[in-house]
Amino acid sequence: MAIKSIEVLKVSRNISLLSGKHKGSLLNKLVENSTSDKLLADQYNFGASTIPGTRSFYDFLKSDQPEAFVCTGTACLCKGNQKAVRATLEKHFDTVGEMKCLGRCYENSAFHLRSNKIKNSVGKNYSGNDIEHLESLLTEKLLSESLVEYDVQGTAYTAKSFASESFLVENQLINSIQDFKTHTETLFDSTNESLLSNLLESGLRGRGGAGFPTAVKWQSCAEQTEPKKYVVCNADEGDPGAFSDRYLMEEQPLKLIFGMLLCAKIIQSNSGFIYIRGEYPESVEIIQRTLDALKKQALLGEHILKSDFSFDIQVVVGQGAYICGEETALIASIEGRRAEVDVRPPFPTVEGLYKKPTVVNNVETLAAATSIFLTKGERFHAIGNGKSTGTKLICLDGLFNNPGLYEVDMSTPLSFIIDKIGDGFNREIKAIQIGGPLGGVVPIDKLRSLNLDYESFSDAGFLLGHASFVCIPKEFSALEYAKHLFEFVADESCGKCFPCRIGSVRGSEMLVNKNYDSELLDDLLDTMEQGSLCALGGGLPLAIKNLLQYFPEEFANRKIAIKEI
Amino acid sequence: MSNIIISKIKKQVFIDGKAYPFVEGLSILKFIKKNIGQKIVPTLCAEPRVKSYGACRVCSVDVKLSKDGKSKAVASCHTPMSAGMHISTNSANIQKLRKNIVELVLTDHPLDCLTCEANGACELQDVAAAVGIREVRYAKGKNHLDRKKDTSHPYMRMDLSKCINCSRCVRACDEIQGQFVLTMTGRGFDAKISVDDNGSFGDSSCVSCGACAQICPTSAISDVFQAKSIEAEKKVRTICSYCGVGCNLEVSVKDNQVLSIQAPKDAEVNAGHTCLKGRYAFKFYNHPDRLTSPLIRKNGALEPCSWDEAFTFIADKFNQIKQEHGADAIAGISSARCTNEENFLFQKMIRAAIGTNNIDCCARVCHSPTAYGMQKSFGTGAATNSISDILLTDAMLLIGANPTAAHPVTGAKIKQAALSGKVLIVLDPVETELAKLADFHLPLRPGTNIAVLNMMQYFIIQAGLLDQTFIDSRCEDFDVFLENINQLDVDEMAKISGLDKELVKNAALAYAKANNAMSFHGLGVTEHSQGTKTVMQIANLAMMTGNIGRKGVGVNPLRGQNNVQGAADMGCQPHQGAGYLPMDDPKNQRYYTDKYGVPSPTTNGKKIPEMFDAAVSGELKAMWILGEDVVQTDPNTHHVVKSLKNLDLLIVQEIFYSETAKLADIVLPGTSFLEKSGTFTNGERRIQKVNAAVKPLEGCKTDGQIIVEMMRALGYQQADYDAAEVLKEVADVVPFFKGVTWDGLGTQGLQWPVNENGEDTKILHQNGFTRGKGKFHYFDFEESKEIVKHQHKYPFILTTSRELQHYNAATMTRRTANNELLNKDIIMVNPKDAAAKKLKAGDFAKITSNRGEVTLEIEITKKVKPGIIRTTFHFPDALVNMVTSAETDEETKCPEYKVVAVELEKIEKNEKSAKVETA
Repeated sequence: MAIKSIEVLKVSRNISLLSGKHKGSLLNKLVENSTSDKLLADQYNFGASTIPGTRSFYDFLKSDQPEAFVCTGTACLCKGNQKAVRATLEKHFDTVGEMKCLGRCYENSAFHLRSNKIKNSVGKNYSGNDIEHLESLLTEKLLSESLVEYDVQGTAYTAKSFASESFLVENQLINSIQDFKTHTETLFDSTNESLLSNLLESGLRGRGGAGFPTAVKWQSCAEQTEPKKYVVCNADEGDPGAFSDRYLMEEQPLKLIFGMLLCAKIIQSNSGFIYIRGEYPESVEIIQRTLDALKKQALLGEHILKSDFSFDIQVVVGQGAYICGEETALIASIEGRRAEVDVRPPFPTVEGLYKKPTVVNNVETLAAATSIFLTKGERFHAIGNGKSTGTKLICLDGLFNNPGLYEVDMSTPLSFIIDKIGDGFNREIKAIQIGGPLGGVVPIDKLRSLNLDYESFSDAGFLLGHASFVCIPKEFSALEYAKHLFEFVADESCGKCFPCRIGSVRGSEMLVNKNYDSELLDDLLDTMEQGSLCALGGGLPLAIKNLLQYFPEEFANRKIAIKEI
Repeated sequence: MSNIIISKIKKQVFIDGKAYPFVEGLSILKFIKKNIGQKIVPTLCAEPRVKSYGACRVCSVDVKLSKDGKSKAVASCHTPMSAGMHISTNSANIQKLRKNIVELVLTDHPLDCLTCEANGACELQDVAAAVGIREVRYAKGKNHLDRKKDTSHPYMRMDLSKCINCSRCVRACDEIQGQFVLTMTGRGFDAKISVDDNGSFGDSSCVSCGACAQICPTSAISDVFQAKSIEAEKKVRTICSYCGVGCNLEVSVKDNQVLSIQAPKDAEVNAGHTCLKGRYAFKFYNHPDRLTSPLIRKNGALEPCSWDEAFTFIADKFNQIKQEHGADAIAGISSARCTNEENFLFQKMIRAAIGTNNIDCCARVCHSPTAYGMQKSFGTGAATNSISDILLTDAMLLIGANPTAAHPVTGAKIKQAALSGKVLIVLDPVETELAKLADFHLPLRPGTNIAVLNMMQYFIIQAGLLDQTFIDSRCEDFDVFLENINQLDVDEMAKISGLDKELVKNAALAYAKANNAMSFHGLGVTEHSQGTKTVMQIANLAMMTGNIGRKGVGVNPLRGQNNVQGAADMGCQPHQGAGYLPMDDPKNQRYYTDKYGVPSPTTNGKKIPEMFDAAVSGELKAMWILGEDVVQTDPNTHHVVKSLKNLDLLIVQEIFYSETAKLADIVLPGTSFLEKSGTFTNGERRIQKVNAAVKPLEGCKTDGQIIVEMMRALGYQQADYDAAEVLKEVADVVPFFKGVTWDGLGTQGLQWPVNENGEDTKILHQNGFTRGKGKFHYFDFEESKEIVKHQHKYPFILTTSRELQHYNAATMTRRTANNELLNKDIIMVNPKDAAAKKLKAGDFAKITSNRGEVTLEIEITKKVKPGIIRTTFHFPDALVNMVTSAETDEETKCPEYKVVAVELEKIEKNEKSAKVETA
């Protein structure tokens, strides 16, 4: 692809390059707030508007942050407990903010507490019965410290493999710093060719949703001649309903980090970033601690194991903007630009972070790459349907009888997942939204005809995405659900492309009552689907169309085309 | 084998069923615009001058990767064209999509088109019409129609209720001007354009270049002149009369009044961009202060008189002086603000109608060392390359110039190049905007350019980075030069210049290692006692590294005035006639005698400082000063005033009652660039057409016509001023104008030399130097006499320069709203010096030199080093040149404005105001 020669260059190139002249992520500096914005702008040679423009983009960078946040993710919404959780929080806090999914979808009733008295408090998440003990939580020492003490027991949930061979959950090949060291030695003895061909053989496709072949992405970046390259881990697991990345970061951090090292060696990068959403304070803490431990052992940083190879990883903490899960927005976010979606091509492998070649991979992809390196690509490839290979993490929400995180073979029938793994539902369900708010809404009668792979889903007009399962109870209005999705997109739209920015608002306005023009709604959905710059505006119509198609009676009062009246 | 076959099959793309040969590297939109037409695909956020952004999606087209492939709508502005694509630009699907998008836009846009400034020139209006919007079906919902208008700025206007969030303005501010004043703030539906940190234009860091206003597709951002309005009856293309960049302007005119100015997008020089002076500072042209009648001094006071009376009086007086003292007792100073044709006529009047070589122009006080030095080194005293070469260079060496203030459009181009990663090296005592951005800023002590450039040459030689082939084949006298440079005491030079040796070395190596390196210099090079020598050292750097004679390299003086290049080209200097032929050569005397039909003067004339000296001594009796306020701008004001007062006859041809005009015996009211036609030659040798936008103000004549009528009054027959006719005469006299004709100049102008066929020259010295071989010169650093003589009593060094908002003596800009943006000269003082002198921000300080004193407000800043202070000379109430020095460049007599030994002391505010009252 001779993409470099096209005149399309990303905006703002100037700010990217200025930001790239400085060490560390500018976003982190804005969070730390230890240098005034004016001084930062002066150091970076920005104009007076650059940093204010960035700050205003993020929910958590606005002044007057609340100290309590209620989870408004789809799973919690469907469970229906959040009004009560909010009411309890409001007894103790003047204002209660919202966070869109804290990754506690398996037990719901999730909320987040942080302290404004402590500088850079990252806070802590709670769920399940925690709200019943709010008073005692508030006196906990945990909140008074800038870094949380992570208590694994506190968030116990089921994590189990049903795969024919576990690569992610039960695979314990890299469980200690010593393991990491041993594997790094093996890694350094391997040629990049063999590493890439093993990965290619595995058939691993990106687990973030798009399903792009990972080896192809790495090879494309490896071929770039620029001396400076980056490895970026997209740990901005924003899709309500998904908590698989959180699981990997908190339970298997070495697997993720080793995956980045593996990629760095192949593409010849000496700098990596893990972009973790701020809604996951525990993940931030564990990853940071693991990185520190590895650096102490010279397994990251300058001259790893006294070799010529250097690779360092920095953590960047997201500040409450769902769109940062989109890779170009994520790159902009690390650079401290407004996290607006950029045009592609050029793709990040050609022009990514700081306009240098960059691999951006999802957490699960990188963790899988580690396991593939530790086992064999052909064993990964042996699982699945040949196109969707290996195993996949799935997240079942609190309306399943067995909620939790599971590893399954690609192409596992959904009937197995629902009936055997999930053991059915604890409430009457009419549909499941699979793959996040931009995934399809699969009605209950279609569910069991699907297999868990990219092909089966796309053939049936759905989307595998992250493979998170959010159940919609029978009594939950499809129209309300559609309105919620429009509002979610309106809240999270970066505001760049017209169809998403305006369309999401108009959509939610139309659905305020049932008396709307159906032709206009169809036009709006079509406009957003075809016209949006990224999958946020472009993906929303799939779910809305599914709802309209499978639950027409719940939209029954809709006004027929205005001209016919 | 198969590859060969494939390559023989021409790759194609198919647009609306028709095949086109595929071209690599274009977006679908650009491909369509290039191959089919500009208006095939409607757009809102796309604009050719900024990068594709992909926001509006109105440019969507249906694309199939093969004939029977699946069709997908993509935004054509950022989707690359690839071979074999089948594109539908206007399918039913696309028509509907575009219409639906625009309908969404209109749900949050005031539908007040009929009363909107942009009515008829609004791109949203055009697109809405083109896609066939007839109704907005959505019910009234959330909107931003109640946003308040920002009217806080003298020029800029912002009404965000009309904003469609296309971010063109943000991109223009970023990608064209590089100021980052505008940003989008917030997210989603409430995202909105904001100035600085949610501020207003009036108190923002905006430099008022107007790029945002011009690029805005609606009237969300515009200006106080309502430049988007289509009310004008005509648009006249002309050339800006401020700096030497030569921006093309498009002047909107109605009822013989200028309504507004924009920058034509197709101009090679400025492609739709210009600065606040060119775009907004035009209201001086019909300001009440304009002179509208000739004035004659009677009984000590100037009073109106008729043109006849003025011409007769001058002619009689000139004849009398000639009879009594000879023609050499008369002198003229021409104006770089006037056209080439007017300058040609003025020097012709002085030489042919009066008979003396006493003709000079303001190049004397700015770039005369450039012209002289580059002539010595290369053979031609003008920029070797074009400004557009910035796009092709790898490294830029900027010496003694602050182009973001003084040459804003070129400054913005250099800034963009530096932002894009090209190496920028800045030699400047002041931390200018570009110095701050530079990879290497060498904050040398004023007056030590030679020391630093010698060090740079030394380090390049030491590092073996010479282009020996170029030196051997194209240059001469390198050996002598080398011998001298090798003996340089770099430690001593580092000490003298106050710079870190390593910094100088790294900067020198960065310049030498670049594949293509360009240098730019300004008055910080020339206005020194070693000015000419410094220019020759810059020439050395270029020659020793082979950076001459191709694209992206060269030595490029940033010429100050709009037509200072042209004034010199036309012969407004005492030693060279039109076309730079030396006047003391009998062959050239015969040439001009033949051309002008009267005997040519034979001895070289006086340079401006020599004219003043001769006036004081009584040798010079009369002076004619055309469009230059020497009292405010020439150094050592006391001396200038004394000399002018000592003349028997002072004629000032002006548009305003300047400080100089106040001393005149006769004042002749000329015209501004908006009222006349002719040509200006910019800093890259580009001769461009100036077209009169309005008629001369009543009572005024074009300066060319004034000169012509004076020539006739002196008995020399010259036809009425007609730009094309005078240009014909210029082309006959000036060798490098040979092929220039009025019609041949077209809209983009031509860069001289222009040969007989009309072919112009983008790059000089491509195969050989004008003088044959490029000549190396070595010079030792010499301390300025100003420092040697006065530093004990006056320990600070004052250096003067300009601010963006004003132009030189600000004769024009002070009479515009630019004065609301900046209305005083301020002294920059380093915090250490401020502390030592007990100065606080906003205090007043007195600067005293051997010549005089001036009191100004201070600004405390680290932009100047301790011991250095810096100010401007824009305002006549300060007259900063009261203190500047009488030292000049040895070769050219260019004054040493940049090094003035002064003392600085705090002055109480009441003392300052008392002074003003008595002034």
